[in-house]
Amino acid sequence: MSRIVAIAVKDLRSTLRNVPALVMMLLAPLALAALLGFAFGGGESFSISATKVAVANLDSGDLGGAENAGTEVAGVLGSPGLADVLEVRNVTDGAAARRAVDDGDAAVAVVIPAGFSAALFSTGATPAKTAVEVYENPTQEIGGGITESVVGRALLGFGGARAAAAAAYGLATANGAAASAGELAGLAAEKYMHDGGAAAGIDITQRPPRLPGGESTKDVGVTGVILAGMMVFFMFFGASNVARTILDEDRAGTLPRLFTTPMRRQTILGGKFTSVFVTVTLQAVVLLVAGRLIFGIDWGRLDSVAALTLAGAAVASGLALLVISVVRTPGQAGAIGAGVYLVLALVGGNFTGTAASSGTYADLQKLTPNGWLLQGWDAGMRGGGIGDITRNVLVPLLFAAVFFVLAALRFRRRYA
Amino acid sequence: MAIVEVRELRKQYDPPKGVLAVDGVGFAIDRGEIFSLLGPNGAGKSTTISMLSCLLHPSAGDALVDGHSIVSEAQAVKEVIGVVPQDIALYPDMSARENLAFWGKMYGLAGTALRTRVDEVLELISLVDRQKDRVEKFSGGMKRRVNIGVALLHRPKVLYLDEPTVGIDPQSRRAILDGILDLRAQGMTILYTTHYMAEAQELSDRIGIVDHGKMIAVGTHAELVRIVGEEAHVVLRVNRHLEGMVERWAQVAGVSQARCDEDHAELTAQDADAVLPRLFEAAATSGIRITEINVTEPNLEMVFLHLTGRALRE
Repeated sequence: MSRIVAIAVKDLRSTLRNVPALVMMLLAPLALAALLGFAFGGGESFSISATKVAVANLDSGDLGGAENAGTEVAGVLGSPGLADVLEVRNVTDGAAARRAVDDGDAAVAVVIPAGFSAALFSTGATPAKTAVEVYENPTQEIGGGITESVVGRALLGFGGARAAAAAAYGLATANGAAASAGELAGLAAEKYMHDGGAAAGIDITQRPPRLPGGESTKDVGVTGVILAGMMVFFMFFGASNVARTILDEDRAGTLPRLFTTPMRRQTILGGKFTSVFVTVTLQAVVLLVAGRLIFGIDWGRLDSVAALTLAGAAVASGLALLVISVVRTPGQAGAIGAGVYLVLALVGGNFTGTAASSGTYADLQKLTPNGWLLQGWDAGMRGGGIGDITRNVLVPLLFAAVFFVLAALRFRRRYA
Repeated sequence: MAIVEVRELRKQYDPPKGVLAVDGVGFAIDRGEIFSLLGPNGAGKSTTISMLSCLLHPSAGDALVDGHSIVSEAQAVKEVIGVVPQDIALYPDMSARENLAFWGKMYGLAGTALRTRVDEVLELISLVDRQKDRVEKFSGGMKRRVNIGVALLHRPKVLYLDEPTVGIDPQSRRAILDGILDLRAQGMTILYTTHYMAEAQELSDRIGIVDHGKMIAVGTHAELVRIVGEEAHVVLRVNRHLEGMVERWAQVAGVSQARCDEDHAELTAQDADAVLPRLFEAAATSGIRITEINVTEPNLEMVFLHLTGRALRE
């Protein structure tokens, strides 16, 4: 054991003297997380700025005594529920609405034509045609998409009303009530609208976030998700950098010399593993503290944080040793290591998070140690305790053990 | 009694088509003996040391070190050997003392025993005054001394030295060679590899000459020299044509062989010092003036040349 500690202490001292590596290990993930966090609005929740919409309602018809259909559509766009995403302003005509988009005063223009209500609820064998114009700045894809979706949803409701009216009209005609058919159709449309047609379609209900063991009411900010992903990603990279000293020692002749001393191979690798493990743990602790102090991230309960940090450091160290055991030069280690870590990060969800994953992608994430870790971090940040993340700790530890054994077998081939 | 017995040791990298670095080498080293492996670069010396250090698995054969097999009892072998690698294998950002302390721990020393032994080794390698300086600030010779000191920390029974004087100044080389002779005087067994003939000749009780992975001759210096005979080799150049002169020199007392080779004559003689005046006299009698003389006493270079057809340094 004292030999393991001696090797680890010697390596740690060497690592701490390597300033560029320390900068890479500590500042890079913080900087990346900060950039991504601010790009998504920063703070604790995901947000985008509201899209400016210019609405020209030229409709003057009515719905059998109620407001006209154009007013209904404009009302839906300007409803309080959409105030965070759509900033609606009414203009007098279609030209003014389009000009607002062309001048950059609005991202989207919605023009509701004159006679919109009349066309919508026209009765007779051949219903009249009508169209709401959505005129948008093509670079404002998100705002345009939201506006189109809202308008489409409202029109869908009118479509239902129109179908109800057509059915009522057909029924009345078939039964010889032609004189009162129009009135009957209008009443049918109005009833459809008021009973839950267009208005009901805009009510969006989000499901609460879930823990592996149940539901949680605690929300996780986007910066926390991003920094957790970055932290796990850079723990793998940090481990790789430290483990690369093994190759440096191989070239310098000190590693072969270590293998000529009366020590077991596992002791030497244990010392190397320990130095990588301690370094990566320190890296994670610095990032956790910085995340808390700079971004205000609530990482969750201490037991979860500790367990996930240590499990992450263990699996990162094991994988780093394995990668180093199969390469010969630092150049190879850089190229192969970067590829391995990047693929793991992409599959494991370091850049996307795991909370929203489903189907095959969610299954793929569970094939990677970082997928399990990230799911654990997500659960931890939502208030989960050690009992909620047991598998998210044990599976990475199992990965770590397998990686270490494989690395030891590889080193056995290199050194007798 | 042999403390190291090497039996048909063989190493082929990446078999079956890889390089055959060591091809059935066998030799024995007695306790307290300095045994040198002499051969050119690439002869298989370092690979042999690596196998005897349990760093490389032999492809075939085995060796016993203090009765332990390098194949099946590697840990026991490592307990009794000290290895001085060809390259400096130290941590440059650590001081001489820190290096010795670290390696001492690797050899299982701890506490007071470790501190005491580090002090002793620092004394032995004459670096007490510089013990706190980082190794990266040392000269090549000082680094070599620390490199050797590391291998002595656990008082090994057998010390392997793989070309320990490569690239250092004559003064440091002298100090290292004297140190090795001191270790032998203390009873340590030493396996020494070199491609410097003079070192092997000066240090060794016995010498094994290796080439292309094979042991081509083993014996004491005297035994090896006898392979090419014990006569000196004399080369003479003159100011005129040699015709007729070589025959006259062949009849000079003490000259056993003489032949003409283009612009010079090559002679062999038991005692070059005694023969040279007579050769001058014979030349003067014939009106010829000797312009250049080259006398080579029998040595390992000639043995190697004789056995392989190549010079040792080629």
